[in-house]
Amino acid sequence: MRRSMTLWLLLATCAGIMLFLVKHEVQDREDRLNALHREILADQEAIQVLNAEWSYLNRPDRLEHLIRTFSERPRARHLQMTSLDMLPQLLDEPGALSDASAGDTGIILPMVRPISIKAGAQ
Amino acid sequence: MTHTRLDSSDIPAPEKTLRLEGNGKQALEQGRTRLLIAGSVFALAFSVIAARVIDVSVFERAEEPRLAEERGTLTHKTGRADIVDRNGMLLATTLNVPSLYADPKYIMDPVESAQELRTVLPDLDQADLVAKFSDDKRFTWIKRNLTPRQQYAVNKLGIPGLYFQNESKRIYPQGRLTAHIVGRAGFDDVGLSGIEKSFDSMLRDGSDPLRLSIDVRIQHILREELQTQIDAFDGIGAAGIVMDVNTSEIVAMVSLPDFDPNRRDKVSDDAVFNRATLGVYEMGSTFKIFNTAMALDYGTTTMHNGYDASKPIRIARFTINDDHAKNRWLSVPEIFMYSSNIGSVKMALDVGGERQKDFMRKLGFLEASAIELPERGRPLSPSPWRPINTMTISFGHGIAVSPVQLANGVSSIVNGGVRHPATLLQRDSTELLVGERVISEKTSRAMRRLLRLVVEKGTGRNANAKGYLVGGKTGTAEKPGRRGGYQRKALLSSFVAAFPVNDPRYVVLAMVDEPKGNKSSFGYATGGWVAAPAVKRVIERAASFLNVTPVDEEAPEIRRALVVKIPQPKGKKALASF
Repeated sequence: MRRSMTLWLLLATCAGIMLFLVKHEVQDREDRLNALHREILADQEAIQVLNAEWSYLNRPDRLEHLIRTFSERPRARHLQMTSLDMLPQLLDEPGALSDASAGDTGIILPMVRPISIKAGAQ
Repeated sequence: MTHTRLDSSDIPAPEKTLRLEGNGKQALEQGRTRLLIAGSVFALAFSVIAARVIDVSVFERAEEPRLAEERGTLTHKTGRADIVDRNGMLLATTLNVPSLYADPKYIMDPVESAQELRTVLPDLDQADLVAKFSDDKRFTWIKRNLTPRQQYAVNKLGIPGLYFQNESKRIYPQGRLTAHIVGRAGFDDVGLSGIEKSFDSMLRDGSDPLRLSIDVRIQHILREELQTQIDAFDGIGAAGIVMDVNTSEIVAMVSLPDFDPNRRDKVSDDAVFNRATLGVYEMGSTFKIFNTAMALDYGTTTMHNGYDASKPIRIARFTINDDHAKNRWLSVPEIFMYSSNIGSVKMALDVGGERQKDFMRKLGFLEASAIELPERGRPLSPSPWRPINTMTISFGHGIAVSPVQLANGVSSIVNGGVRHPATLLQRDSTELLVGERVISEKTSRAMRRLLRLVVEKGTGRNANAKGYLVGGKTGTAEKPGRRGGYQRKALLSSFVAAFPVNDPRYVVLAMVDEPKGNKSSFGYATGGWVAAPAVKRVIERAASFLNVTPVDEEAPEIRRALVVKIPQPKGKKALASF
């Protein structure tokens, strides 16, 4: 009788302590969660501001002005632009390309794929 | 001595229970009953609780979720969704902007505080600040809408009695650049114009950004080139459009003059007016694109026929003349290339008014454009459709449409003959586009050649951007005067082009309102001199962004695709190989 009584009492106390600890832990974590949520929202708001600023700083007229001011190379002429598959062939040595475009104005790339290389594709 | 054995049974068993009599017995009985009742009540209560515990913990209930739910959404709600361009660049966003206010009760030294505050916000007035700080009120605005940097600086000063209040504010980072497209939202976040108005409820409810088909880089190029032309030719305004011919997405659309949507002050009506979609204009010769396509598609004429354009046409009190008169028989390609009014009128008369009206309806010129803006102009078309209207419409007078409709119409002509309504929203690339056929593919191919001819040899030579195979048509319309008739000096000069014309990707339209000729144009203020150079420069600058690479215009397969045989009146056929 007395032994079972002690056992039950012990069990009840243990359960009580456990409950208390778990409750504490949950409260702690909930506080942390709330803090994190607040932080995330604040960060998102800050990102929103930065996005707006990024977009403002990337206005095309500003970029163009910056390029004109700070770029040392002359602007590429539109005829110098081409797509990769229009290039005649791959150069064996990487150095050959920089030699060829050493001039200030660069080379004017061929605008049509030479027929001899890929005749079927034309 | 005798021993007596005593048996246990002989001894009387002691009374096991005490028998109480009288008062004592009664009290004990009562106590026992009470205990029994209390015990059973407790037992009942505990068994109910136990039953409930089992019920709650073991049995499931439908309304209980299986898993713990995360409360609330964690997205930052601003009250109004963003608007972005096709590359994701912000065009409109809502920010929480701090505003500075003071509670004068807590301000210790008004003069010193004001002085300190002015070190970070120098545009505030000292006397005014001191007056505000020594006020009796508990609340007074000091400065609205601070930047984050200013807020930081004010906080750093640590002046007691200064507080911030967050207010949401709509910001347009691109400013004037997309003013007419995006429009504006007012104080309480209500869309007032543009996309802000037409998608008002969607922007207010949703949090996903609204993606437009606009590309701010192309938009900038178009705006800058149009502004250059306005400055050079002293125009009062301009409009321009870059449109994808295959999807009818508008990549850039500019109306000048424009306004800064970030400023809340009153803007002039002229600046707010969207010339590209709200304004309807008699477009002049650019309409010959539709006239020629119509005649070719109905089969009333062919590329090898021609008309006598030697004499002006007189009808009622009007005389129809040619601006670039050749005074001879002209073939259909020549009529188009020299922009002959007389030839165009004769072509339209062969088709007839009824069919012409039908064709205009198919191109969408008889009703307002379907574009997603509240600022949509209703075209002006004649009713009833008389023969005189048929004649004037052939060269673009007597019918007024908005520039966006013109660009949409040209897209439908050059893209193979299928019309898709113009849109400002980016189309899903997987979306199946269903269009309405306007002309046959064969006519579309013929029109591409004719458009190229105009740029190579005709009135549009100033638009010839080398390598991009520009094909286009000039238009110079006299603006209608206030008291009827037309004003010879008030012109609307336009140029509409498609490139690369052997397989068109984009249509570019430039239109300048009331340009005046100058020395560089030899006094001309026509579409070929005012608008065509702008189109050329827009194409040269924008093509690489649009992923169009220059080609060799002399390549045999390109020449073959674009060659036009110009028939001669005496049966001789010359090969026009330019």
